[in-house]
Amino acid sequence: MALLEVKSLEVSFGLRSGAVKALRNISFTLERGERLGLVGESGAGKSVLGFSILNLISKPGRISGGEIWFDGKNLADLSAKELRDVRGNRISMIFQDPMMTLNPVLTIGQQMIECLKAHRKISNDAARTIAIQKLKQVYIPSPETRIDQYPHELSGGMRQRIVIAIGLLMDPDIIIADEPTTALDVTIQAEIMELMVELCDRNNVALILITHDLGVVSQVTQKAIVMYAGRIIEQGPTKEIINDAQHPYTQGLMNALPQMAIPGQRLNQIRGAMPPLQNIPTGCAFNPRCDYVMDECTKQLPGYTVSGNCQVACHMVANLKKAEQTSDEV
Amino acid sequence: MTTQNTTSDLPEKAPSAWQRFKDTHVWHSFVKDRVAQLSFTIFMGYVLMALFAPAIAPFDPYDPTQIDIMNSELPPSWNEDEGDPQFWLGTDAQGRDLWSTILYGTRISLTIGICAVLLQATIGIIIGLIAGYRGGRVDSILMRFADVQLSFSTMMVAIVVLAVFQASFGTELYQELAMIMLVLVIGIAEWPQYARTIRASVLAEKKKEYVDAARVMGLGQVRIMFRHILPNTLSPILVISTVQVANAIISEASLSFLGLGMPVSQPSLGSLISSGFEYIFSGAWWITVIPGVVLVVLVLVMNLLGDWLRDVLNPKLYKG
Amino acid sequence: MIAFFIKRLAQAVLVMFVISLISFSIQDNLGDPLREMVGQSVSEAERQALRDELGLNDPFLVQYGRFVKNALQGDLGTSYFFKEPALDVILGKLPATLELVFGASLIIIGLSVPLGVYSAINPQSLFSKAVMGISIVGISVPVFLTAIGLIYFFSIELGLMPSYGRGDTVEILGLETSLLTADGWSHLVLPAVSLASIMLPLFIRLIRAEMMEVLQSEYVKFAWAKGLMTRRIYFLHALKNTMLPVITVGGVQIGTMVAYTILTETVFQWPGMGFLFLEAVNRVDTPLIVAYLIVVGAIFVITNTIVDLIYGLVNPTVKLAGKK
Repeated sequence: MALLEVKSLEVSFGLRSGAVKALRNISFTLERGERLGLVGESGAGKSVLGFSILNLISKPGRISGGEIWFDGKNLADLSAKELRDVRGNRISMIFQDPMMTLNPVLTIGQQMIECLKAHRKISNDAARTIAIQKLKQVYIPSPETRIDQYPHELSGGMRQRIVIAIGLLMDPDIIIADEPTTALDVTIQAEIMELMVELCDRNNVALILITHDLGVVSQVTQKAIVMYAGRIIEQGPTKEIINDAQHPYTQGLMNALPQMAIPGQRLNQIRGAMPPLQNIPTGCAFNPRCDYVMDECTKQLPGYTVSGNCQVACHMVANLKKAEQTSDEV
Repeated sequence: MTTQNTTSDLPEKAPSAWQRFKDTHVWHSFVKDRVAQLSFTIFMGYVLMALFAPAIAPFDPYDPTQIDIMNSELPPSWNEDEGDPQFWLGTDAQGRDLWSTILYGTRISLTIGICAVLLQATIGIIIGLIAGYRGGRVDSILMRFADVQLSFSTMMVAIVVLAVFQASFGTELYQELAMIMLVLVIGIAEWPQYARTIRASVLAEKKKEYVDAARVMGLGQVRIMFRHILPNTLSPILVISTVQVANAIISEASLSFLGLGMPVSQPSLGSLISSGFEYIFSGAWWITVIPGVVLVVLVLVMNLLGDWLRDVLNPKLYKG
Repeated sequence: MIAFFIKRLAQAVLVMFVISLISFSIQDNLGDPLREMVGQSVSEAERQALRDELGLNDPFLVQYGRFVKNALQGDLGTSYFFKEPALDVILGKLPATLELVFGASLIIIGLSVPLGVYSAINPQSLFSKAVMGISIVGISVPVFLTAIGLIYFFSIELGLMPSYGRGDTVEILGLETSLLTADGWSHLVLPAVSLASIMLPLFIRLIRAEMMEVLQSEYVKFAWAKGLMTRRIYFLHALKNTMLPVITVGGVQIGTMVAYTILTETVFQWPGMGFLFLEAVNRVDTPLIVAYLIVVGAIFVITNTIVDLIYGLVNPTVKLAGKK
């Protein structure tokens, strides 16, 4: 049984103008120690998905359908107290901007110790010892003095290390990291990412990495999910997706990577922009931007087609597969 | 977003100002918001009452020949035993028709409120623009000054200044100048409200490219400030102004109540309430209560409109 | 800490300097001390001699220097009306005003925090909407009207509360207070409620707005993700951050509060400094006006220092101590 299994999850936001579906029919699994990349443009629903796993979507959003199974339990069935035992303890989160994630009026120590005390019966001194130990693990110099400082006394990179230390504090099963390096200087981005991978490997922690950077996904993760307008359009082993993307959108993302460009030529862009969630076109949401758009793309939502070890939501891929099968038969 | 619709409706000519206004977010939320509509209607009612007070009022409360002391303290006319149908809201202690006096009082209160806010806005906008645009030492000196002024609270400054003036001018001369003094004092004491908000939005606007563009084109500083930056700070100005007029009216009423504002011979709503307060113990409640209700409703609708505007325009207001 | 106090002290000196200048020019321009001291019958020559003797013909700076010197020794002149040292008269009325401010602050702090926090956490609840509705009405009613309304209902119509005065007082540690007698409390309730009436809605609205903003912040979301108790998130993580701007505004509002004591004391004939000040204005009792201004200035300086100190203690990004 998978550690985490999301089954046809649906999240909607009740606005005055009517409900808007931010996530539709999301299904995937995550194994213990596995690293999963969640890719997509901003607004595709990556972060909402991350938050909905802990049932932390801010109002007026709510989970309106589907199930999230974690370690054999449906998270929807848990009481508020049981859910709190999961949050920060078995599944923890790392946020995007370390400048905003730490409470400015509490010391690093307070913010670490409170987390330990929320989940374990433990004395202040013992909690402090663990906190210092975790700070050492994320290579904070002189953690004994840093622990009594306030966030504003530390640099951005240092703060993100502390956020990671808080994420690892309870030795969780899963860490959900929402663009953990985007807000940092380019020079320390790689450093922080390496640190996260190292720590997840060492403690056998599963990682859900939310990012818009396909490059990072290819280096760090074993499995990748590509999202577009609230839906998964392609998922499978990272290697297959990177080397042989099936969906025209994923192909477009790959071609837009600077590494893919031929020197002296313009970067390849995907034309247009992702539609707002209130205004998703019928059929395949990507059809107005797709170079291979066909008649049925504008009419019918594509189902998932299996291609190799990947699942792809695209009519063209489905047609090609069908053609392959019939040619095999002949 | 919605402008696309109108342009397709009227392809040949540009939409009129009214058409464009009807497509704005402000108009749409106004149409939906009952409280805003009611407040606006009542406020317009007050404005009309104030504008046409001499035409509506059955008596002229400033004309001593129309006042008969024998008519003093008559209750409103719905009180059948003692009321006089000539005075439907009753009369005050001097025998003036309360309805007419309230009409003229509203006119005075609104005039002082609006003029004081115009003065505040002028001083505050100029200082705020300069502080925000020039930055550096000019900015820190001006803002430090604003902080000090704010910490001394309008009411405190106004009470002290007016008290000293009254004591040195003598009551008679002071009463003649009361209206100008009130506008000056309330106007000058509250400028930091505008200055800080304008400065905050100027700082935000200054970062945007259009200001750089204007500077690169070689436009003068004054022109950039007034023609380019100021129009973009209009929504916070509108929001504060609504609330500030309400505050100014309260300040004026409070000062008049203390005897530091409008004289009883030419009463604002505040001085009318003040003059009635002595008689409340003898049962003549209407001299205090009716102008009091008129005052509270006026201030309330302005505050409601201010709240609504703030929610709709959602400007970055200076906090604290 | 020392640096903070030196900075505060410099500011205090500056503020008191400005107030003393204003006060002195009032004294200089308002009323002729001779009028109070001698009758009409004294000849012009005698008046001039007296003026010279009193130093009234000295240059401005000399006179101002003398004023400051006397003021520093606690001598702000003699009240024309009471024939007593002005400072003593004012300080004699200070306890009554402080009681009023104390009562009002109790109401404001005791109600604004729970109501503001509640309506921020449950913005859609009927109770929150009622609180917000009442608070906007509260802001729109001037203090003196609230006071009149309270007198009309509770004193005249219902006869439950006394309508004016301070009530019985007892002396404790050399200070008169009405806080220790039942009669004193019954006199204090209505004035304190009216003084609180305009600030309370202001603070409820401010706390609600700030709290709602803080609840949307990343660090509060992170606190939820850490699996903390709801109570801890609301009352430690969110409230501590909410209180920072509230403390600043509170400091600014102290001035307004003192101004409103004048209004409240006038309506309730509360024998405090504000009521005394207004009487002094009507009697052109210059030394009393000056003494009031200086005492109020001192109150501003002291309370603002305390507010800054509290702010520095709550907000770690403000350094009170010089340590790095």
